[in-house]
Amino acid sequence: MIDQMTPAERMGAFLAGKDIDRPPCVPLILNHAARVIGEKISRYATDGAVMGAAHVAAYRRYGHDLITIFTDTSIIGEAMGTTLEFPDDDVSRVRVPAVVDQQDLDRLEEIDCRRAGRLPVLLEAVRRCVNEVGGEVFVSVCIPAPFSTAAALRTTAALARDLYRQRDLAHGLIDRASALTEDFATAVHEAGGIPALVDPVASGSVLSRKTFEEFALGGIRRVIERIRTLGAPGILHICGRTSTIIDLMADSGAAVISVDQIPLKEAREKVGWRACLMGNVRPTETLLEGTPDAVRAEALACLEDAADNPGGFILSSGCEVPIETPPENIDALMDSARQWGLR
Amino acid sequence: MVKEKIGAEAEKCRLFAALAEAVDGMDEEGAVEAAHAVIDAGIDAYEAITGGLSRGMETVSDKYETGIYFVPEILLCADAMYAAMDVLKPHIKVRRSAAAMPVIIGVIEGDIHDIGKNIVKLMLEAAGFTIHDLGNDVRVSAFVEKAREVGSGIIAVSTLMSTTMPGMGRLVDALGEAGIRRDFRVMIGGGPISASFAEKTGADAYGANAMEAVRIAAAWQEAHS
Repeated sequence: MIDQMTPAERMGAFLAGKDIDRPPCVPLILNHAARVIGEKISRYATDGAVMGAAHVAAYRRYGHDLITIFTDTSIIGEAMGTTLEFPDDDVSRVRVPAVVDQQDLDRLEEIDCRRAGRLPVLLEAVRRCVNEVGGEVFVSVCIPAPFSTAAALRTTAALARDLYRQRDLAHGLIDRASALTEDFATAVHEAGGIPALVDPVASGSVLSRKTFEEFALGGIRRVIERIRTLGAPGILHICGRTSTIIDLMADSGAAVISVDQIPLKEAREKVGWRACLMGNVRPTETLLEGTPDAVRAEALACLEDAADNPGGFILSSGCEVPIETPPENIDALMDSARQWGLR
Repeated sequence: MVKEKIGAEAEKCRLFAALAEAVDGMDEEGAVEAAHAVIDAGIDAYEAITGGLSRGMETVSDKYETGIYFVPEILLCADAMYAAMDVLKPHIKVRRSAAAMPVIIGVIEGDIHDIGKNIVKLMLEAAGFTIHDLGNDVRVSAFVEKAREVGSGIIAVSTLMSTTMPGMGRLVDALGEAGIRRDFRVMIGGGPISASFAEKTGADAYGANAMEAVRIAAAWQEAHS
């Protein structure tokens, strides 16, 4: 079960369509990284040195094939003026949304993504990871996509109503969010990281296909286009159900599509020939609550369904690895990919 | 006389259909207008809620369950329903129907995601339950306090975050410590919750979605009465 390639060699070869020793495995280790160094979430989320150290330690602990830096989906919204609150040991939440009416949107100022809010924290974390382990593993940042940012600017409920009652305001929010997200993707790239997009609020569990197409897809496409211009592959993660929108996720131009609640066989039938799939061991039922054996069984089922996907396959968790996931369960997930490579 | 009565019945049917359609059509103004027409015509407000608004919400939940409506649509339908409800409420003649079990509902401490909770609340309300809504970020002790006050019934708790899930187990334990566990049926739900997790916490049921929550509550109600 000893790997023949470093994660960077493996991912590099994988994305270039060359042979690799085993399927890549990228559990979405996000806030869980804080637990690896015994740190509280509030410190992890607000201090780039801590966040960076947490991800370096998590990488050394688990050896996953991509570092995924992230703490919450409101971070771009915060940079644009939303006030968050930070519970001592939990992820932040929106306290005061930045945009209550159209005037608030008009008043939003130009934002320097290298200085605003906690965006510098993410950039600092990227630099720390790249400095310490960048020679052996790629470092990505999961950036909230424009629709999710619009929810952070307005609150999800207010944005949901806007989709019918104030469509111009919704589109305006998404436009502004897209511009800043493009800038920030560039900043992440310049810091040595790979920008990836996450859009949990645009999930098929929340929005109809029609709404997704009209409001969420444009922003995603815009940012993915920028990311691809930078020479990065474009990774898009949407959690919850995605059966109704998976073809649109592929239409966004993302090379890697990370999915949660959709059978991999179905995902593969729908977009497998034009996208690399990533997923989807169940985060709560299996990773948090299951045994290592249960993790292995589900990981193997994922590999059986998708390992030979024409567009490629990355073994992963369906969504964020829950903060309190037992480390041995993450080991079991990684080992499943290693065992598969020995077949 | 007979002719007049038929006319009144037809008007009632027409207005109830208008209420239902306005709710299903996310039409807040139309719902309010129809509610005022109900009052002006001297039609029973309670009947208008069960025969009009609830019927509309039933269509809405069918559409939600079959993937025609999603969260934004549910919210707008709910807005229309609540707006009409506000008009009708003051005109309801108090008549306790076959003692509906009270439902204490809330989002567990540490979580403020309440859209799902509000949908469940709405559906339960439309199904005739009396709701005590504690809102979001509700401390375990606040649930217990309210439970003591209410005496017996159903407690429905939700969360969207895996980090706040343990609060649900603590709530079940706290009800036991307070000696009132047997007076309440507890159901839990929300994004990261699973049936196996519900079992571990000692909750009585897991509601995978709003419709299931209503079905469970209705079954408990039936067993109760």
